[in-house]
Amino acid sequence: MIRRSVRTIAAAIALALGAVGLSACESDGNYSGKTTLVLMNSQWMDALRGDKLWAVMEKYEKVNPKVVLEKSEVPSKDIQTKLPTELGAKLGPDVMMLQEPLFWVVRDALLPLDEATAEANNLNATNDGAQVEGRQLGVSWQRAAYGLVFNRKLLNEAGVEPPETVDELITAAHEVQSETGAIGFTSRHQMNEFDNWYKDFMNWTAGYGGQWATQGQLTIDSPHNIAAVEAFKKLYDADVIPYGDDFPTQRNRFKSGDVGFSIDNSGGTLNMATGSKVSSDVGASRLPFPSPGSHQQIYLALNKNMDGEKQRAALDFVQWLLTDDAQQALRSASGPDLLATDVPLDPKFAKKNPWAQNFYEAAADSSGTVIEGYELETAQIMRPVMDAVERVLTKNADPRKELEKAQEEATGLVG
Amino acid sequence: MSETTNLLVSRHLKNPNKTSLTPYIFILLPIAYLTLVMFWPLLQEIVISFKDTKLMEPNGGEFVGFENYRRLLANNELSSSVWITILYTATTVVSSLVLGVISALALDIPFRGRTVARSVMLFGYAVPSVAAILVWSWMFNDRSGVLNSIADGLGMTSQKWLTSPELALWSVTMVTVWQVTPLVMLVVLAALQSVPSEVKEAAQIDGADGLNVLRSVTIPHIRPSITLVGLLVTVWTIRRFEVVYLLTGGGPSKSTNILVVGLRQTAFENYHLGEAAVFGVIGLILAIILVTASELLKKMRDL
Repeated sequence: MIRRSVRTIAAAIALALGAVGLSACESDGNYSGKTTLVLMNSQWMDALRGDKLWAVMEKYEKVNPKVVLEKSEVPSKDIQTKLPTELGAKLGPDVMMLQEPLFWVVRDALLPLDEATAEANNLNATNDGAQVEGRQLGVSWQRAAYGLVFNRKLLNEAGVEPPETVDELITAAHEVQSETGAIGFTSRHQMNEFDNWYKDFMNWTAGYGGQWATQGQLTIDSPHNIAAVEAFKKLYDADVIPYGDDFPTQRNRFKSGDVGFSIDNSGGTLNMATGSKVSSDVGASRLPFPSPGSHQQIYLALNKNMDGEKQRAALDFVQWLLTDDAQQALRSASGPDLLATDVPLDPKFAKKNPWAQNFYEAAADSSGTVIEGYELETAQIMRPVMDAVERVLTKNADPRKELEKAQEEATGLVG
Repeated sequence: MSETTNLLVSRHLKNPNKTSLTPYIFILLPIAYLTLVMFWPLLQEIVISFKDTKLMEPNGGEFVGFENYRRLLANNELSSSVWITILYTATTVVSSLVLGVISALALDIPFRGRTVARSVMLFGYAVPSVAAILVWSWMFNDRSGVLNSIADGLGMTSQKWLTSPELALWSVTMVTVWQVTPLVMLVVLAALQSVPSEVKEAAQIDGADGLNVLRSVTIPHIRPSITLVGLLVTVWTIRRFEVVYLLTGGGPSKSTNILVVGLRQTAFENYHLGEAAVFGVIGLILAIILVTASELLKKMRDL
C-alpha cells in the first residue's frame, strides 16, 4: 500500500514538473522562437489611457515580429516597494516606466541606452535628467507639468476670474464657496499621501523661487522656501480645503462639479476632464506663483540583468520608440504630456481640451521632483521637510524654525 | 489505522519508558516550515540590523555594530515610535478586551434576534480590512464625514479626527478596536458556552446573585481564553500596519508613527534595510517582553 502511494506521488511530481517545464517554455517565448519583453508600468491600469498606451506598444510587435511584449501591471503606490526589491535580487521586468525619484534609486540596475539613442537626433530636453555620469540610462516617457485647474462654470457663477497670486486664489476660493456651495480649493495635505504630497509641494517652493539644495549644499531653510511654506499655510488656514480628504477623493469631487480650484498635473487633469460631468467646464492657467512650478517626469529604462538576446531586443524597442511614427502614436495616447521628442499637441485633442495647451507650455520651464545633487536621497530629505510643513499646518508652528529644524535633521541624515 | 501506525503504537505500549521518535517525526515538517519562513528571516533581520545594508543590495553591506541603533536613538525617532506603539497597543488591547467580554456576556444571554445580533457584531472582523479603513476615512472626513455631521447635529464642535496631532492616535485606535473586538467576543463567547450550567445552578442554589456567579464562576472559567486572546491581540497590534498606514501614514506630525510604519518608511523611502531592521528587532523584543510577562503572571497566579 505504501509502495503504491509512493508510486502515485512520484508520478504526480513528475507530471507537475513536466507541466512547469512546459509553461516555462511558453512564458519565456523560447518555445515559439520569440523573445518576450516584460513592460512594467502603472499606467497600463489607467482606465483612461492604459489601453491606448498599450495599443501603441503593440505596434512594435508588427515592426519586429520576433518580439512579444507582455504587460506587467503594478499600481503606482506599490512600484516604489516592489521594484527596488526585485531589482536588488537581480530580477524584475525588462522595460520599466519609472517616476524620476525611483529612477535614481534603481539607477545602478539600469542598462545604458546610448546604443539606442546614438542615432536619435530629435531628443528634447526632457531626456537630459536621465543622463547619469555621461550615460543615457533612460529616455523620457512622459512629463506632466502642473497648473491651476478650475471649473469655469463655478467661477462664472461666483463671478471670479482665474487668480494670479495666492491671495487672489484665497479670495476667489472663498467666493466660490459662498456663492455656489462648492469646495473652494483642493490639494494634498496629509502625510498618508507623502509620496505624492512632497512632489506636489515642490510646486510651491519652485513657484516662490526656492530650491532644496544648491551647489551640493542643502538649502531647506532658505527665505524662498520659508515664503512658500507661509503661503501654503495661509491657504490651508483659509478654510477652503476639504481637510481629511485624500487626493483621489478630491479629484472625484472635482469630477462631480463640486470643486472650484485645484493644483494638479496634466495627467490628473486629463483624468478629471475626460468623460466627466465637468468635461466642458475644465479650464487651466499658470500656477499663481511668482515663478514656474514643477513637473512629474517618467522615464523609460531597461533592466541590465537581461540576457544578450533580450538586451538587443529591448534596445531595438527603445530605438523604435524614438522614431517619429512611434512618438506620434504615443502623442495621441498621452494627452498633453511632453514626450521624448517634440511632438505638438494633436489639434483635435487641443480643441476638445482647451486646458491642455497650458500644461504643454508649462512643462518647458518647470523643474523636476528630485533634489539636484541629492537625487537618490530626495525622499529621505523630503520626509523631515514635510514633517515640518505638517507641524506648521496642524500645530501652527513657526515656518522658519521648523524649516531650520528640517535642515538640521536632513543634514544629519544625508550629510 | 494503517499497519505502520499499529506497529508504532504496539512498540510504544511494549516499552512505554523508552523515548519514541514518533513525536519528533511529526513535528519535523512544522519545524522545517517555520525555520524556512520564520526563524531564518528573523535571524536575517537581526543580522541586517547590525549592517549598513541598502535596499538595492539586500545581500550586501558591512557590519557596523550598533551604529544603526545609535543613529535612530540619537534623533528620538525610534524611542518616539516605541512609545506610540506601546500606547496604541495598550489602548487597543484593554478597550477590545473590555468591549469584547461585555459583548460576549450580553450575547450569551438568550434573547430574540440573538443570531442576527451576533452576525452584526462580527462585521468588523469579517469586512476586508482595506475596504473598512477606506470607509472609516470617509467617516472621519472633517467636512463631509458622518462623525462630524453627528457632532454638528448634537451641537458639538466638529473635530479634525485624522488631521489633528492630538486626536489622530485615538482615531486610529478606535478603528483598530472596532476591528479586533469581534474576535475577542467570538473567543469569549465560545468559552462561555463551555461554562458548566450545573456549577452556575449550584452557585445560585447556594444563594449567589448574578454578579457573584459572574465573578466566582464565569470569569474564572473563561479567564484562560481571555488571557490567550489578549496575548494574541497584543502581538497582532504591535505588528498591525494597514490601519495606521492607510489612515494617517504615521502623521500628523508623527503622532501615529508606530514601529511598523517607521520600518516601512526607513526601508522604502530611505532605502536603508539595516536601519529598517532595527524597527523590526525592537518590535520583536517588545512582543517577547509582553509574552514573557504574560507567562510569568500566569505562573504566579497558578502558584
